[in-house]
Amino acid sequence: MDDADYIVFDGTLAEYLRRVEAGELVSKLQASHAPPCKFQTAASVISGINNVVPIVHGPRGCAQSLRGTRVAGCQYRGRPYEPTLCTALDESQVVFGGEGKLARAIAEADRRYHPDLIVVMSTCCPGITGDDIEGVAERSRGQVRAEIATIRSEGFGGDFRSGHEDAFRLIVDLMDPPTETIPYSVNLVGARVGPSYTEVREDIQELQDMLGQFGAKLHSVIAGGCTLAEVKRAPCAAVNTSWCFDWGRRIGLLMRERFGVPFCESGLPYGLGATADWVRKIAEPLGLSAQAEDFIARETERIEPDLAEAKRLLAGRRALIETGPMRAIALARMAAELGMQAVIFNMHPYTLRERKEAIQFLLDSGQNPRVLLTRGAFEMGSYGASKQTQDEMEAFLGDAQDWVYFGSPLRFPGVPLVNLATEIGQPHFGFTGVQNIARRAASAMRHAHRERSGLMRQAMYGVAVHGDLF
Amino acid sequence: MSHDAAGRRCPEGHASEKGGDHGCLDPYLRCAFAGAGKTLAGVLDACLVLHSPQGCHGLIGDALDSQRVDFSKAQVVSSKLCETEIVYGGEERLKETIREARSYGAPYLFVMSACGPEVVGDNIAAVCAVMTRECGVPVVPMECAGFRGNEHQGIDIALEKLLDFAAHEAVPKVPRSVTLIAPHASANPAWPADLAWARWVLGEMGVTVVSVLTHKQDMQGIARTPAAETSLLLSHDAGARTSERLAERFGVEPVCRELPLPIGLTNTKRWVEALGQRFGAEQVAERIIEEGHQGVIRAIRLRGPNIEFYHRVEAAVAADATLGIPFLRFITEDLEGVPSAVFLRSCSEAARGVLARELEELGLTPEVVIGADAYGMKQGLRRTRPDCVFGSQIEWQFGQELGIPYCFRVISPTGRFHMTDRPYFGYDGLINILEILQNEHQDRWRSRTRRYEAKW
Repeated sequence: MDDADYIVFDGTLAEYLRRVEAGELVSKLQASHAPPCKFQTAASVISGINNVVPIVHGPRGCAQSLRGTRVAGCQYRGRPYEPTLCTALDESQVVFGGEGKLARAIAEADRRYHPDLIVVMSTCCPGITGDDIEGVAERSRGQVRAEIATIRSEGFGGDFRSGHEDAFRLIVDLMDPPTETIPYSVNLVGARVGPSYTEVREDIQELQDMLGQFGAKLHSVIAGGCTLAEVKRAPCAAVNTSWCFDWGRRIGLLMRERFGVPFCESGLPYGLGATADWVRKIAEPLGLSAQAEDFIARETERIEPDLAEAKRLLAGRRALIETGPMRAIALARMAAELGMQAVIFNMHPYTLRERKEAIQFLLDSGQNPRVLLTRGAFEMGSYGASKQTQDEMEAFLGDAQDWVYFGSPLRFPGVPLVNLATEIGQPHFGFTGVQNIARRAASAMRHAHRERSGLMRQAMYGVAVHGDLF
Repeated sequence: MSHDAAGRRCPEGHASEKGGDHGCLDPYLRCAFAGAGKTLAGVLDACLVLHSPQGCHGLIGDALDSQRVDFSKAQVVSSKLCETEIVYGGEERLKETIREARSYGAPYLFVMSACGPEVVGDNIAAVCAVMTRECGVPVVPMECAGFRGNEHQGIDIALEKLLDFAAHEAVPKVPRSVTLIAPHASANPAWPADLAWARWVLGEMGVTVVSVLTHKQDMQGIARTPAAETSLLLSHDAGARTSERLAERFGVEPVCRELPLPIGLTNTKRWVEALGQRFGAEQVAERIIEEGHQGVIRAIRLRGPNIEFYHRVEAAVAADATLGIPFLRFITEDLEGVPSAVFLRSCSEAARGVLARELEELGLTPEVVIGADAYGMKQGLRRTRPDCVFGSQIEWQFGQELGIPYCFRVISPTGRFHMTDRPYFGYDGLINILEILQNEHQDRWRSRTRRYEAKW
């Protein structure tokens, strides 16, 4: 396969963004690739608040898409069972309107579940038929104990990103103006779904623990298992910082605009430099810079042996990175710290366009890695695309021996693979995250001579290590 | 309003899946779109064209999973409707999507319409007619918007549509043959094994399975359905209408309609006997029953599950009708328990009679709720305070909160990952259920804390 047969773009991130903006790299997704709709992402953010009852104003199928998240909250995040209500609209309500049913649902939800907050979420049907959900909510206020909010979250009304953003806007609308500024207090913003796992440590817990190490105090995680009272008092925090930079940025900027809470804007705390930046940006407005420098020095020393070993094994090599866009950019910076040349593989134009504000911020901060885009990215979503991308990656890497792949073991690049599967249950963020990734990279290099699993490869691509299966 | 098996209104506080008199539901069942998708995912040579916003795709993902579709062979495309198509109509977008779907080469394209396009009035039938001519393959409209009902009603909608492909001219009957209906309308998370067991029984009796509506079934087989002498419904929740329609239109005789599905010793025995009688295979039936029965006895003797636990414990059954109805006799006769409450997520009209007869024959007078949602379920458990629950992980959560000592997660969703399908039907099914119950029982007793630290 010649490069021209499959390489669509090979250049810098800045150039890539420019060409996407200019419409030169059309974001043509295969129809079968379907990320969540606006409703689903909005629902995931709303679910981050404890004791909230979402009322899905629509048929029951829409509620079911949220229910899995809610039930998983009981199973893995230590939550009690919390309902996922819907008005179960049928043909009659589609024809004659479902406002009466929604009003009864609000009253019933309040009586049955005693929630702090009821969020009415509209879906496609009432969005088209024109049910006045805001009017129903307004008339119900004062008649029920719970606070009521509404969100226009029709599935057709925007992409997955708009659901996140509108839900975070709703959360900011629920906040009270600050009555005080609590010294050294920090909100982690941009979380969703609910509290972290009770049994497995996540990135967000690592960040929470880091705050205490240089004198800052966690105020709230918005909205990662916070209460309505915490949401209301969130503007009393001294600063906001983001967990997920992309989602956190939106709510951070909104809170800065509305309540004047400083937003410590930085990329994902992935790698030594980015983690140190994250700490410094929080510490500076809090007046904790000296403590932060001590903390950074201590932690750098602690992880030095693992980092040095990773550098010894990786320096001078090339890194091929295939993950989500924000993580990929952060990893490219980390790879450079390890003495590697990084190439981000198949960051899709769709994800670039959706995150352009956050990506522009990173570009302005001096991060401008090389990006490679193949034809497989434009066929994204189908099984065939995955196989096509695998073939293209193999063609690109060829016989070169100096590449190291950073991504999922579901890919078979034929070079050492640093396993970034998040399911492994160890943080990637923060100093401990640097240590974890460094160890995994070292393991990848030490065991690079071992054969990959023929079983896994056959299951993924139908091609055995030693020949074709299909 | 929900009703018990005798048609009585349910006590105050129950919510019905119908949602009629209530404002809100916390539903167990998905929508009609999901049910139709589950049925169509069981058709081998079909490509599903979702005329919907992108979120509805998730429901089809579950359908593919339920029908055990190899992810590398799944053919699903979506028109991914946005505001523009909702305002100006999505027919052109649908045509483009159908063209893309056609490029996959599937010989049948099913266009499933979701709420949005049905409300705005996209003329899906007309688009399908045009595209059938353009594509040269059947492009079939399937009006199954979520608001048309719950997932079992969606299964019925899709089955009904599939029958349009049944041969219209008189077809010669295949002697001693059967078509199997709605095996996927079941809350056994490993239901394909129930279907496989039913097929095995029929095979032993020399009965030809003409078609399965639906599981790994090609359209040719579906077209041959009228050639079946009989139909065998494998669900108490969906498919009854299809069974009736087959009888009316094609003279396909329903069998075992009045019996609970074959879970537990007696139910299995009666079901196998009925099939044996219908197909003149009484001796084969006798052998299956005898060998199966002995196999269960042997397994219990070899492994010694704790069956003494269930003697006269009050049990709540929280399930769909497909499993819930046969569980009543299994719990009462095989385990010596006492079903004191029956909360069914759904139940077809046809199966309500089966439920009523079972309760009467068994001399049981439990509280019965049909169409319970999660709120009704929790309230029912709070009110009836059973010693144990045969239910899903949702009732397991309720059990934890309400202090109900045992909840056996045998009903989907169990929260357990399944790599292999294992039946609940038949004798192996009975052994499987006993195994699940045993493990759940033991888990209840496992220490979650350590009283002191190890010294090494």
